[in-house]
Amino acid sequence: MATVEFKGKTFTVDEDGFLENLDQWNTEWVDYVKDSEGIAELNDEHWKVINMLQDYYKKNGIAPMVRILSKVTGFKLKHIYELFPSGPGKGACKMAGLAKPTGCV
Amino acid sequence: MAERITDIGPPHFEKFLPPVIKENYGKWKYHEIPEPGVLRHVAENGAEIYSVRVASPRIMSTLQARDLCDIADKYCSGYLRFTSRHNFEFLVSDKSKLEPLKAELAKRGIPKGGTGHSITNIVHTQGWIHCHTPAIDASGVVKSVMDDLFGYFGSHKLPAQLRISLACCLNMCGAVHCSDIAILGIHRTPPKVNHERLRHLCEIPTTIAACPTGAIRPHPDKSIKSVVVNEERCMYCGNCYTMCPALPVFDSVKGGVALLVGGKVSNAKTPPMFSRLAVPYLPNNPPRWPEVVQAVRKIVTKYAEGANKWERVGEWVTRIGWEKFFEVCEIPFTFQHIDDYRWAYDTYRTSMHFKF
Ligand code: SF4
Ligand code: SF4
Repeated sequence: MATVEFKGKTFTVDEDGFLENLDQWNTEWVDYVKDSEGIAELNDEHWKVINMLQDYYKKNGIAPMVRILSKVTGFKLKHIYELFPSGPGKGACKMAGLAKPTGCV
Repeated sequence: MAERITDIGPPHFEKFLPPVIKENYGKWKYHEIPEPGVLRHVAENGAEIYSVRVASPRIMSTLQARDLCDIADKYCSGYLRFTSRHNFEFLVSDKSKLEPLKAELAKRGIPKGGTGHSITNIVHTQGWIHCHTPAIDASGVVKSVMDDLFGYFGSHKLPAQLRISLACCLNMCGAVHCSDIAILGIHRTPPKVNHERLRHLCEIPTTIAACPTGAIRPHPDKSIKSVVVNEERCMYCGNCYTMCPALPVFDSVKGGVALLVGGKVSNAKTPPMFSRLAVPYLPNNPPRWPEVVQAVRKIVTKYAEGANKWERVGEWVTRIGWEKFFEVCEIPFTFQHIDDYRWAYDTYRTSMHFKF
């Protein structure tokens, strides 16, 4: 477990850079993660994905399936990868402050 | 993302075929096994190629792989392949190189075999080398069992092929569910719930849905975002831990090995079969797992004595009956052997036919 300081905020992260404590999520976190995720500047489309993931997680307690994410945001998987080069799991979910994907990934 | 190359797939296999194979692709007439570990394929036009099959530990260093490449350079114009059970095959197009290759292998102590009615390599998994859900190790058990059964690797003395596979947990990566003898890692204790960290690490609905017996419920105290496990319903499959890191299930003392027998994948004579529980529990006993080695040997020996030629383990057991199988292998029949999962009814005996 490591601690990250960024713009005056502290985050505890695991070895893959996911938040260890989901309550620590804030917009600085998104700002901090974007560099390691290969994103230069966040636009509205990035935020649409992040907001959708967070809303869905709050409501259902799980991350949405990729097809649901695509359907709700209107972004095809290809476009999601253009926004988040590491993909919806490692990229978008990490930025949105969701728990790390599990199972046989 | 600059200069990033993606979606190019594997290189085409044709690039790596020895000329004899390329020229006679799809035009083979017959093959024979002149001796254990050596195959001879003859093409319609009389061309032939010899494949010398050698054992591999599957997990190997680059140095070992380079050694094998050196041998292939020397005797096979650089051509070799590996099989679906992780053996290596040297592809010899020039017959005069066959005996020198065999001599070199003998000198280096690389065993050849794994053909015909033998016990070829054990299909196995990651174990304690790399996975986070194992109940047992893979490489260690495989080495111990193959050491003991080594005589069956380089010989054709069994009634039929005998496939052994190992999986270190119930995910059954590999082929344990369809092998003549399967070595399977099992837990015998329920997962321990880390209530404090669970909500940060796990999606609770996914975790609940992961349980095949419905043993997981949301924590009754609504202020605690966690789950509880009904231990009476839990059969320690560990699936919930796969989904949720806050539910560790490994127990070095209570975990161990189950043996299954009688699976096969080929359609030869009889349809493919699943392997079934033979020994419910043997202790995890590194580094040589003597109990497992002994139990596997017992089954192999009794099968070799009792089966007819061409009869796979599953076919032998079907012919003599399961009660006889337990009797000849001296395996105590316990309540664990009786299926109690969903479609269990079909596995009960609905007949008067049985042997005392
Ligand atoms: S069988 Fe289980 S423990 Fe072994 S490699 Fe597969 S998932 Fe991991
Ligand atoms: S170990 Fe398996 S049976 Fe037990 S609670 Fe977890 S998922 Fe359910």
